[in-house]
Amino acid sequence: MSLRQKLLLMFSATVAVAVAAVGWTVSIRVRRVFDQLDQQQTQLFARQFQREFQHRADDTAAALDRLASSDRLTRMAFDLGHGGEPALYLNEAAALAQEYRLPYLEILGGDGNIISSAQWPARFGYLDPAFNAAGHPPFLKEEAMPDGSTQTGLFAVRAVRPVEPETAASLYVVGGTKLDRDLLADLPVPAGSRVYLYRNSAPAFDPQSLSGIDDDSVDASKYRLLLDAARKTGNNASGIVYVTSRREDSVNATAIPLKGEDGAVLAVLLLANSRRGMVEVQRHIRAIAFGVAGIGILFAIGASLWIAARVSRPIEQLAAAAGEVALGRWDTHVPVHGNDEVGALARSFNRMTSQLLEQRGRLVQSERVAAWRELARRLAHELKNPLFPLQLTVENMVRARQLSPADFDEVFVEGAATLQSEIANLKTIIGRFSDFSKMPKPQPELLDARDLVLRVLNLYKPAVQQHLPPITLQHEISPSPLMVSADPELLHRAISNLVLNAIDAMPNGGDLRAAATGKPGGAIEISVSDTGGGLAPEECERLFTPYYTTKEYGTGLGLAIVQSIVADHRGKVSVESRPGAGATFIIELPAFDERAGEVEP
Amino acid sequence: MFPRIAISLFLFGICANASTRPQYGGTARVETQRDLWQGPDSIARRLTMDGLTAIDANGDVKPALAAQWSSQSGDRHWEFRLRPNVRFHDGTPLTAELAAASLTADCQAACPWTTVRAVGPAVVFTTDEPQPDLPEQLARAQFLISRATAAGAPDGTGPFAATPTGNDPSTAIFAANDDYWNGRPFLDAVEVRSRRSIRDQWLDLSVGAADLVEVPSGLLRTAQQQHLKTIASSPVDLIALQISPTGPLADEKLRQAIALGVDRAALFNVIFQKQGEVAASLLPSYQTGYAFLFPAERNIERAAELRGGANPQITLASEDSGAELQLTAERIAINLREAGFRVQVVSSAAASHADVVLRRLHLESPGPRAALTEFLENSASTVAVETSDPENLYRAERDVLAQSTLVPLLYLPRSYAVGERVRDLRLAPDGNPILPNVSLAFSLADVPAQTSGASQ
Repeated sequence: MSLRQKLLLMFSATVAVAVAAVGWTVSIRVRRVFDQLDQQQTQLFARQFQREFQHRADDTAAALDRLASSDRLTRMAFDLGHGGEPALYLNEAAALAQEYRLPYLEILGGDGNIISSAQWPARFGYLDPAFNAAGHPPFLKEEAMPDGSTQTGLFAVRAVRPVEPETAASLYVVGGTKLDRDLLADLPVPAGSRVYLYRNSAPAFDPQSLSGIDDDSVDASKYRLLLDAARKTGNNASGIVYVTSRREDSVNATAIPLKGEDGAVLAVLLLANSRRGMVEVQRHIRAIAFGVAGIGILFAIGASLWIAARVSRPIEQLAAAAGEVALGRWDTHVPVHGNDEVGALARSFNRMTSQLLEQRGRLVQSERVAAWRELARRLAHELKNPLFPLQLTVENMVRARQLSPADFDEVFVEGAATLQSEIANLKTIIGRFSDFSKMPKPQPELLDARDLVLRVLNLYKPAVQQHLPPITLQHEISPSPLMVSADPELLHRAISNLVLNAIDAMPNGGDLRAAATGKPGGAIEISVSDTGGGLAPEECERLFTPYYTTKEYGTGLGLAIVQSIVADHRGKVSVESRPGAGATFIIELPAFDERAGEVEP
Repeated sequence: MFPRIAISLFLFGICANASTRPQYGGTARVETQRDLWQGPDSIARRLTMDGLTAIDANGDVKPALAAQWSSQSGDRHWEFRLRPNVRFHDGTPLTAELAAASLTADCQAACPWTTVRAVGPAVVFTTDEPQPDLPEQLARAQFLISRATAAGAPDGTGPFAATPTGNDPSTAIFAANDDYWNGRPFLDAVEVRSRRSIRDQWLDLSVGAADLVEVPSGLLRTAQQQHLKTIASSPVDLIALQISPTGPLADEKLRQAIALGVDRAALFNVIFQKQGEVAASLLPSYQTGYAFLFPAERNIERAAELRGGANPQITLASEDSGAELQLTAERIAINLREAGFRVQVVSSAAASHADVVLRRLHLESPGPRAALTEFLENSASTVAVETSDPENLYRAERDVLAQSTLVPLLYLPRSYAVGERVRDLRLAPDGNPILPNVSLAFSLADVPAQTSGASQ
């Protein structure tokens, strides 16, 4: 990824993260504000409901007080207290309930048995347990109905005033109002809110028991968790309810349990505040955030382009120039823009490449001088050895002119032979230098490296066997062919050099080991090991440098020639050695590729 | 002075005489909860039709459209000779063929005869079994003689004739039949308002807008407390549970458990305000004298024992949608729930599918054998009543009740409240008012209005 892309990404990410953070923070804040409003609204509604509930309770109690003190019931109590038949009053409760507008009304005898019931007339003669709550404040009660169902109502129980003040009450009235949608309809329900009433008439959750003021189509199962929590714990339960899969249809619902006199939950008031407003505000905020983020990203693109023009382009030019330098074009320069850090960097880069170019020139020059010096030293060293006998022979022959002709002839012949021999030696030295300078181009052919190694070993086998102290010759040759495309003469020469070096490295005898093996990855390996004195690490580094030798009479060209031949065959040569542990020279060559079929190295 | 006193005495005598002697004229306004024409016992049929025989106020069979009758072959062949010169309201003469056709149409199944045919001026019945009380049975409302007019309306030979109805289909006026074979009724007309609630009937009576209204048994004492002028029959309506022998109550023991689970005393004392009598037999005690042999007490322990571990879900409905029977049904449901049954009270519209149906069976026949036969026909029982002797009747009744498909609960009278101007109202033995004998008393203030009413 380029710097420009990184800058673009960084700017865009920064803007997006900043906008998202602000949007998220505002959204969370909005939600908290709405939640607080919901809580306040719920608390307010709960208080209003309690007031309305109390108002209803007061109305019920007042109606029952009026009823209990009415002449009609007083007369009835008097009649029943003086032997009157309760059966005659079977329909009395229904008439009184209508007159006093009480949905539930029962008249009980002094023993608590029902004399007349408005809501269930057939229940006469049965005991009403509510009889024990005479005089208590109004309470919630589950009332059984003729069809087997139950209804929840707000009840009160009052004793009918006896005619004779000193006598006990012989008549009671149990009356109540329905806790139903009519009660809910009187509540000031805030806009966007809905109120439902769940009648807890059965232990199991019953969806049919949930009703609203004007919304019978409520999906009760959505509120089941809240309702169950309120029913089971007897405490308020709140939560978010998703009426549909859409967020705007979710509500903040609060279930408020309504308890009877014994503490049992008889009904649950459910207030559902719509979250539509909050969701719409959040959407609005999100839309603004997206818009700002989009603008920010566009700004980021522009800014990154501008910054790239100012910053990244010179850096890119520097990077490209550095690549050129790496490829060897040391004369590369970059344009300098301005006097800022990037400009200073460009100037430094140009200065660096100029210095590198100068240093390389000087290095080449010094290396060239060193090479000539080394060559001169070698030549002097090589030529000095034959020149000294030549000088002695010539001086001996000059002195021999004073001898007898017979002796002179003898000296002359002997001197001439020595001169010829040393001159031949000089020619050989010169020829070797000449050969190195004129290394022939390889003439590749397909050959088996195993045969080549064995041929070299066979060539030097007599010399090794005659060596004193003795040298043992060992070889490890792959059983399978090791085909290679190579010039057999050059490769023979390279391996021979290594074998000769190994022999030279073991003047006190030892083991000479040659191997030819295949390697994974399509290469063959030819190695020659000795058990001589070994090489120091710094000697290993310089070993393949031309004219470098560790031998007293070496030219320093043997291993250089080996490296040259191996390199011409696209191979490489290396040495593994430690002082006192011998040395191993390894030639690695690419194996012949049958699919390619080429022979050219 | 003397002439003045003499004139005053004369006028007083006229007025006194007018208040005791029946007077012709006037329209009696009758209100009922029931439908005008629905059922064989409907008030319209009673007013407009006659049977071959009739039951008089003493419960004796008397001639009606049949002037005389005789039986042969051991009461297996009956010949009823028609009264001559009787005409339907549209003027069509009553013939034996029309009477036989009407009887055939009235009785499609379970008839007290095998064949009925016209032989000259007589209607001849033949039966497979002896039918000694056939004249009494022919007095039942089911066998009133009628024919369809050209317009398709039912027509009879009764004391009143239906007049065209106005815009209100619940109100009908029946005009006096001037040519009635038994003499013209005192009333010029009877105006019947049907499907009228008891509350409205009483309201109309209290404001003088009605002359005869119904009083349910449970409200009879209330009516009397309100100083209404009431009249009640002997117990003629049997309140009984009809239990389906199939379905969840196919086990006879469960049906017996239901019979034992009902608290008849509470129904009698409270809902029906001690009117009529508690019944565990099909026939009332005044007809047989052995009704006490059938125990009527509630025995909830025995009911639980009979029920065993069974706890079937059963439905209970009242055949009658009236408040009194609905309340009774609900009370019985409470009783049965106490006895361990799971009871659901359903509406009267679903009575045909209910497992237990609360029925009101009307006792028309004054004779016990005819009455029992009538009940057995109603309950589709296969028990036969061979003779009229009490032992045979008891055995037949015991066999029927042992099946526990029909459980008698109470016998109730029929009762009415009448207006102040109604005179000579008597009830037939089956509890229905005998309107042809009724007359209206007129005050001097009523005269112009009554004159106007009589001329309608």
